[in-house]
Amino acid sequence: METEQKRFDSGDLPALRRILCEQGLLSRPDGSASWIQGDTSVLVGIYGPTEVKVSKEIYDKATFEVLLKPKIGLPGVYERSREQMIKKTCEAVVLGTLHPRSSITIVIQVVTDAGSLLSSCLNATCMGLVDAGLPMNSLFCGVTCALDADGNITLDPAMKQEKEARAVLTFAIDSAEKKILMSNTKGSCSVEELQQCIAASQRAADTIFQFYRDSAHRKYSKW
Amino acid sequence: MAAAGGFRTVEPLEYYRRFLKENCRPDGRELGEFRTTTVNVGSITTADGSALVKLGNTTVICGIKAEFAVPPVDSSNKGYIVPNVDLPLLCSSRFRPGPPGEEAQAASQFMADVIENSQVVMKEDLCIVDGKLAWVLYCDMICLDYDGNLLDACMCAFLAALKNVQLPAVSINEETGLAEVNLKEKTPLTIRKEPVAASFILFDSLLIVDPTAEEEDLATGTVTIVTDEEGKLCAVHKPGGSTLTGAKLQDCISRAVTRHKEVKKLLDKLIKSKKAK
Amino acid sequence: MAGLELLSEQGFRLDGRRAGELRQLRARMGVFAQADGSAYLEQGNTKALAVVYGPHELRGSRGKAPHAQALVNCQYSMATFSTAERKRRPHGDRASAEMSLHLKQTFEAALLTRLFPRSQIDIYVQILQADGGNYCAAVNAATLALLDAGIPMRDYVCACSAGFLEDTALADLNYVEEAAGGPQLALALLPQAQHIALLELNARLHQDHLPRVLDAATQACRHLHALLDRVVREHLRDAAALLGK
Repeated sequence: METEQKRFDSGDLPALRRILCEQGLLSRPDGSASWIQGDTSVLVGIYGPTEVKVSKEIYDKATFEVLLKPKIGLPGVYERSREQMIKKTCEAVVLGTLHPRSSITIVIQVVTDAGSLLSSCLNATCMGLVDAGLPMNSLFCGVTCALDADGNITLDPAMKQEKEARAVLTFAIDSAEKKILMSNTKGSCSVEELQQCIAASQRAADTIFQFYRDSAHRKYSKW
Repeated sequence: MAAAGGFRTVEPLEYYRRFLKENCRPDGRELGEFRTTTVNVGSITTADGSALVKLGNTTVICGIKAEFAVPPVDSSNKGYIVPNVDLPLLCSSRFRPGPPGEEAQAASQFMADVIENSQVVMKEDLCIVDGKLAWVLYCDMICLDYDGNLLDACMCAFLAALKNVQLPAVSINEETGLAEVNLKEKTPLTIRKEPVAASFILFDSLLIVDPTAEEEDLATGTVTIVTDEEGKLCAVHKPGGSTLTGAKLQDCISRAVTRHKEVKKLLDKLIKSKKAK
Repeated sequence: MAGLELLSEQGFRLDGRRAGELRQLRARMGVFAQADGSAYLEQGNTKALAVVYGPHELRGSRGKAPHAQALVNCQYSMATFSTAERKRRPHGDRASAEMSLHLKQTFEAALLTRLFPRSQIDIYVQILQADGGNYCAAVNAATLALLDAGIPMRDYVCACSAGFLEDTALADLNYVEEAAGGPQLALALLPQAQHIALLELNARLHQDHLPRVLDAATQACRHLHALLDRVVREHLRDAAALLGK
């Protein structure tokens, strides 16, 4: 059992797993972050804005590239589709128009997958982008909800809970208006359940954004 | 005419906004209107099931071929469904030669997710002999003409082709232990759920249904909702892009539910006319 | 004698055709909106789709491109569900690479490539259902697509296959006849001038028989020319009627 810490008091909702984050731990990339959520752990390196290949150059904005490296083996179709989601989320948030004709590369390495991987990747990416100092119009976070057979919502499910769940929904939520940036579902659910999950995710997002703020505060108050 | 064409090339965003101000789109549709959908099934006789779907100009052909395989070790009573979306060079000049691009791979994964989520066909139904023999359905979707909204067209082609599949009866010869196929006795698949997709683009906080390729390029985000016949959600797919409120998402869902009815009516009519023949 | 009788005593083939008879041809031009030219063609049960882009600026490496004429870029692919046995790779295998090369050679002979130096013409052919004569269907479909795109050519390119069995030359072989393994000839002809764009013979054939087989293929190509010409004229009439209003 992982140690669970009650991070917000929203009545009957179970809490998120323990979160740990370290920024700027790698020296070569322009920004980096390690994100641990329960037993799930990912590492992100951000390179950019830097020179872009002529064939990928976009004349009025930055070219994003996301590489998701699985723990073992080579990236496949599954990784490609996750890369696309993370890429399009970043494109919506990072002010790419400030860096036209340049590239921003995001490399995500999965260290351990113990559930809620996509949301962990999103959170790690956001922290990495902050560390790289790229201008963004808001922060974003990823929240995964699992719906069990009775329709109960488990936030931030572990691998076992994810497997037993009837549906697993992952959302990316922005910090400015708490709107949905990205959504991905596995399994089927009713419309009401979807709305409940969105509401729960939005509440959980507050906790994560508070965590972002606390960690940034702690980092910069050291000096 | 020539001036409008020039304006369209130089200022595509402004050109499009002028249309939206009048509540219509460059191709004459309203914001919530789908393009004309036509479906044709069973045109490829070498496939076990096939369908051609035209959504406006977007054309997707889906061919399903069934082959034998050994069931997976961890679930010996299941068969396989392997979807693949191909965007060949001929469908648009925007694609480059080489291995499948990001969009094709993302679409393949989306199809695989929806098949898994919706349980459109129970994989147990594809098992022939427990632990020994099962069907594997290779569902290849080829885009022949690319004009946006690939996912809806693929989903529709896949479902129509699946309804068209006829699997031969298979018996195991006791003496030799080999499978014998009886091509005269063919049965259709049991289809448990009927997932139908509806895609939207986000443009200046407007929701626009069934985008063309041109509209997709201008949009700041896309949403695809897949519902089954009970109105349950099989997928809410929003790969990033600009933000959306829960209420707006609700709008998408209710539009997707009506779209499901339209497509189901179309497919039912088609199957009926096919049977009558 | 093998189980199948490919040619009956009365001179009929398996599908009921006579020796020199073609399979039914159905074709449509301008099937797709965003391509510069497109055509769909059925020869019996063989179904082919051809799409043409260009002439447009050169893509990819400029090194290998000829500088005084257009580069003809062909890709031949077969849908995975087009054959009885599922194909693993739609294109990129050796057979399709050879076919792509044959198409390129055929159309380099027919297109007026010197009119478009430093540019590229793409011809993409997709076989949706294969029942023999894939190369021929691909060439005929591509001809219609090129005409639809309005790219100048010396002449139509008509292609047809021919085989030789029991002292008889057979035109337009289907899959069963092809698979029987007899001699098989593919001919791509520019019919007006009677110029041969491509000629390929598989399996052994006595040279005394070659003129007869070639003759059968030439005849078949001439017939195809008439059929394709009718398709083009009808398409033009329809297009003109639309413009007229």
